[in-house]
Amino acid sequence: MTPTLLLPLGLAALGAILVPLVLHLARRTEQRPTDFAALRWLRQKPRPRHRPKFDELLLLATRILLLALVAVFLAGPALLNTQDATPVIAFAPGIDPATVARDAKARAIWLAPGFRPIDTPAPQDAVPIGSLIRQLDTQTAATAPLTIVVPATLDGADAERPRVSHRVRWHIVPGAVAASKPAPSPLRLALRTDTAHATGARYIRAAAAALELPIDSDGPARAVPPPTTALIWLASGPLPAAVTRWIEHGGTALVANDTVIEAGLTVPAWRDETGRPLVETRSQGKGNVARLLQPLDPIAMPALVEPAFPRILADLLAPAPPPTRVEASAYRPLPGGLPPASQSRDLRPWFALAIAAAWLVERWLATRAKRAIAP
Amino acid sequence: MPEPLIPADVRHRLKGLSLVARRAVGDRGIGLHASHSRGTGLEFAQYRPYEFGDEPRQIDWKLYARSDRFFVREAERESPVALWILLDASASMAQADARRAGFSRLDAGKGLVAALAELALAQGDRFAFAALRDTGLTLTRPASGTRHRDRLHLDLHGLPAAGGFPEETALAPLWERIGQRDLVVILSDWFDPACLDLARRLSAAGREVLGIQILTIGERDFDYDGGYRFRDPETGEELLGDGAALRAEYLGRFGAAQTGLHAALDAAGVRHADLVLDQPLDTPLQRLFGRTGNRAGGE
Repeated sequence: MTPTLLLPLGLAALGAILVPLVLHLARRTEQRPTDFAALRWLRQKPRPRHRPKFDELLLLATRILLLALVAVFLAGPALLNTQDATPVIAFAPGIDPATVARDAKARAIWLAPGFRPIDTPAPQDAVPIGSLIRQLDTQTAATAPLTIVVPATLDGADAERPRVSHRVRWHIVPGAVAASKPAPSPLRLALRTDTAHATGARYIRAAAAALELPIDSDGPARAVPPPTTALIWLASGPLPAAVTRWIEHGGTALVANDTVIEAGLTVPAWRDETGRPLVETRSQGKGNVARLLQPLDPIAMPALVEPAFPRILADLLAPAPPPTRVEASAYRPLPGGLPPASQSRDLRPWFALAIAAAWLVERWLATRAKRAIAP
Repeated sequence: MPEPLIPADVRHRLKGLSLVARRAVGDRGIGLHASHSRGTGLEFAQYRPYEFGDEPRQIDWKLYARSDRFFVREAERESPVALWILLDASASMAQADARRAGFSRLDAGKGLVAALAELALAQGDRFAFAALRDTGLTLTRPASGTRHRDRLHLDLHGLPAAGGFPEETALAPLWERIGQRDLVVILSDWFDPACLDLARRLSAAGREVLGIQILTIGERDFDYDGGYRFRDPETGEELLGDGAALRAEYLGRFGAAQTGLHAALDAAGVRHADLVLDQPLDTPLQRLFGRTGNRAGGE
């Protein structure tokens, strides 16, 4: 907790304090000419040598305080090292905290978004464990010991073992995190094709039959299916506005190579043996759109007739979720992460409040009715 | 149209006042001097037809020659007392207060002069006016009547305050004109010793002298705050000072000077009263001529 200034040059604004000093001093040297016939009884004793005197000391003090606050505000006041060094114990969701002995002084939190205290109810949703471990590592003071209590089987891990700067105590207790996601609903297909693509549509229907999936096949004029169904759109020309809207509301669509869709950043999703991209995908709104880069023709696209095509088509329209379940002992964080940045708390909002308060006081003092009118 | 010299409320309160000279008792007439009677005298008043019993020497024979009728020439009988109103018109009288900048000490003095003239007119006394300045006295002869009052108002409206208090030699015309037992009212700020000197010598010479001192609020209270450059309007002398720092000392010295002035006036037999500019105009008149203060000698 070290107070500091982020921009000490701002203190140069303290020079402005001279202005109210001069204002309050200048009034004394002002001399208003006045006729006064009884001057003979106004003989002045020699005054002591001019000592600077200030009028309205309270108002002057308020004004100086106001300017000093503004100067400090400009200099960017902050508190350094605001983190506390108390130990931190993070519990992965699914663990009963009462079963684990822990230091009473330590700060016990849930390893869940927000890092809420352990007294609050356990979070029920699935959590990205790996990402949360990295976040907790950077948010905890470098001097604070960090303990992470995890069940034997973790869910929500990602492909990279977290690298942390702390010496993390990796405490494994029996148990498992609840299954993260519900099983995906079975894939449903809807096929919209015009006559020019009737030949290519046969391959799609064959693939659907091989996957033993029901397929709702019709012409382009038919209404769009419900969003849970994947749409295969084989028609030349621009995509109708209704279909575009359907995609943006969360639908997944595969369109033919001669369908015109909005330009955008695309990612190749399927390459053949030679590395030539066959399908590119991109996200649009909440949904995804995949586009064939070749006509649906075995000559241009020999993969159409290969046995793997139905499986690849299903993956394109409903990609399998990445594996997230891991043995806790294999997911122990690695050392070598970046140390947490020295955190400072910005005090400027508080100074802004103080400036506003001082300004109000100054206005009140300067405009109150009891104040003598400047003669 | 200029502002009336006497405010309406003051004019109303003047009815309860009467000019009474202590020394002018009926050696030149019968009863109180307030009579507006006609008869023989120097000042012509009117002709009236001859009536049986009139003295033949009062008949205007020249008029008889012209009109073939007897007319008696009547003159106004002079009141035994003339009221002399001396208004100090030196530069110091131009001082006004910041609180009421348009109303100077001289304006208050003019109002008092007009009020005194009204009083004299109401009881038939002659009155005369003199403005005291070192650039020349303005004098009117003692007379009565509304025309004389109007002439006085005309003089007052054009009277500025300038210069200093006149020298003793310049006051000689006053001595020639002010009668032996006349009533003299001096309106001034009484700061100049020459003013006190004049009052003292007039009183010693048998005239009944009344003094009215007109003060500004600043002179009484010294309500100045902050830095001022005080300037004496007559000498031009200047003094830099802070109002608050000077106040206590000034009030002490000014109070002592006032006490001394009052003592000197009392010693000279001059009845006196004060008017501060925030008071009603008739305050000193009530004190000097009112029923309560009438017989009280001075302070």
